[in-house]
Amino acid sequence: MKEILPEIERWKEEGEQVVVATVVATRRSAPRPVGASLAISESGKMCGSVSGGCVESDVFEHAQEVLATGEPKLLTYGISDDEAWSVGLPCGGEIDVFVERVE
Amino acid sequence: MAGLIHRLAELRASEERGILFTAVEGPAVGTKVLVLESGERIGEGLDEAVERFDELIRRARNRLLELSDGSKVFAEWYGPAPRLFVYGAVDTAEALCRGAKLLGWRTIVADARAKFATPERIPSADELVVEWPQEALARVAPDHQTAIVVLTHDDKFDEPALIGALQTDAFYIGALGSRRNQERRRERLLEAGVDEEALERIMGPCGLDIGAETQEETALSILAEIVAVRAGREGGFLKNARQRIHAEVE
Repeated sequence: MKEILPEIERWKEEGEQVVVATVVATRRSAPRPVGASLAISESGKMCGSVSGGCVESDVFEHAQEVLATGEPKLLTYGISDDEAWSVGLPCGGEIDVFVERVE
Repeated sequence: MAGLIHRLAELRASEERGILFTAVEGPAVGTKVLVLESGERIGEGLDEAVERFDELIRRARNRLLELSDGSKVFAEWYGPAPRLFVYGAVDTAEALCRGAKLLGWRTIVADARAKFATPERIPSADELVVEWPQEALARVAPDHQTAIVVLTHDDKFDEPALIGALQTDAFYIGALGSRRNQERRRERLLEAGVDEEALERIMGPCGLDIGAETQEETALSILAEIVAVRAGREGGFLKNARQRIHAEVE
């Protein structure tokens, strides 16, 4: 969360709800290191990343739910399977992403 | 958490170090505790994770902790970039500082010889100190996020610099010099009362075995060794390595 604190603080000051997704663990290879994070504001502004663009759209969907309920979520993404529409990491690694609302 | 976010933003812009603990799985999920090296604490709970503060702050890495009840706590590390302290304002010092700046580190070069420690000679040093080793070390106060490299090739500087360095918490202490010189220095340091175990901390000759010839190559070899020591790795070809490529998280 360290890298995107200024944006989070600014959006909060502007009165927006903000959700932060953070890579808390990686197994084998991973596109972004542990600690990498993505902030998503109520109005849809985004800042930072948790992968090389591989899972951000799915995280965004979960973020909407976390935004609404305030209940944090721990998500796990692994290798993408054969189905073209599935979300995953082409590098063969696995990441855990914690999604929480900034209270 | 709004107050916490503000404190974290302040922390990020400061020289202080701290860890933000967040429960990500288990009954306390969502709980946050910020602990600073100064002892300041914001938030309650997560005691089992917070107990590991000293070890975590020294490792300087973000890490996921698994607690005895199976719950998980994410520890995010906050602190300024590591410091490189070089004693000996020789050519290699400039190459080392230039490389260290590329890594985002802060660089300090000291030498007792005012003619050597000039911004013209060492433009990449963030700070230049004209002082004898003991005084320079006292001023810079190396801690567990500081690497020290001793470069003067002159016993009257190198020895007090190394003896002083061994009294600090520096995560890396390196010394240039041939194997023959290292052996000679080792004996002199033992005579000066440094114990064998402490001497093991000195990486000398410093650097990874990459066949460095130029100042820049030597700097690369030393910086690569510092990074490896910091990550607890041996150096070597990734192709031949069996562990995961990036630094271990747990």
